[in-house]
Amino acid sequence: MFDRLNKMNFEIAEAHCDAPCGVYDPSSARLGAESVLSMTKKILDLKAPDASDAAATAAYHNTLTRYILVKEEQARIAKEEILILWTDYFKPVHLETYPNLHDTFWKAAKLCSACKVEVSLEHANELMTAIKEIHEIFWATKGRDVPWFTAS
Amino acid sequence: MENKLPIADEFEELAYNRGLREIFLIEGDSMFPALKNGDLVLINPNAEIAVGDIVLARHPFKKSVKIIKRIAEILPDEKYFLVGDNPSESSDCRSFGAIRSEDILGKAICRLP
Repeated sequence: MFDRLNKMNFEIAEAHCDAPCGVYDPSSARLGAESVLSMTKKILDLKAPDASDAAATAAYHNTLTRYILVKEEQARIAKEEILILWTDYFKPVHLETYPNLHDTFWKAAKLCSACKVEVSLEHANELMTAIKEIHEIFWATKGRDVPWFTAS
Repeated sequence: MENKLPIADEFEELAYNRGLREIFLIEGDSMFPALKNGDLVLINPNAEIAVGDIVLARHPFKKSVKIIKRIAEILPDEKYFLVGDNPSESSDCRSFGAIRSEDILGKAICRLP
């Protein structure tokens, strides 16, 4: 009898994956934060031209606006990637090993916001430090030794 | 964990015919290799359960959803900590906490051929 049963007739017992792909990597947040740091440096280094030079002033505003746009967007991306790791990858069991986990992620997300609002080299560097800490925790939970590196 | 469920025998078929067993269709691979996507599994709602058993349970947050996992630990307050055999592909008690005893619906005892 069992061999004549139709599978479609039975209720489902779910044995589903947590995420369709299960692929997480702090590198996505690191790339965003690196761009934020780079743009912050470029904004701070940019020299305003003589106000009487119309062409130079236009070029200055254009360049400054582009730097600001990239900093805004990359800070947003870094924050989103941090939140994905925090809320989707990390589980309550990780808190047992890393009791400061929530504080680490909360501060990293706050730094992304600060870097959007300000032109602060200090906060941009702090964001990189926070993401380095997340990188170390993340790969430790995977049992893998992945050295920290930067693209720039 | 390799604890694969045995294939149902004539006794289990008789128990099913008398309404003492229920059949569920496995959807997902979080219990692989013990159970794989598409398997039919026989549940005994009245069986004694212990650590290491595969059980059917009501999802703690989505009451209409039933999940199938292995008991990793029975906590002192009669809550059950369930995990998938395939942890990297499983949404389990590490995500949603321990399951209350009233939400354990039965023990998986065998697979259908």
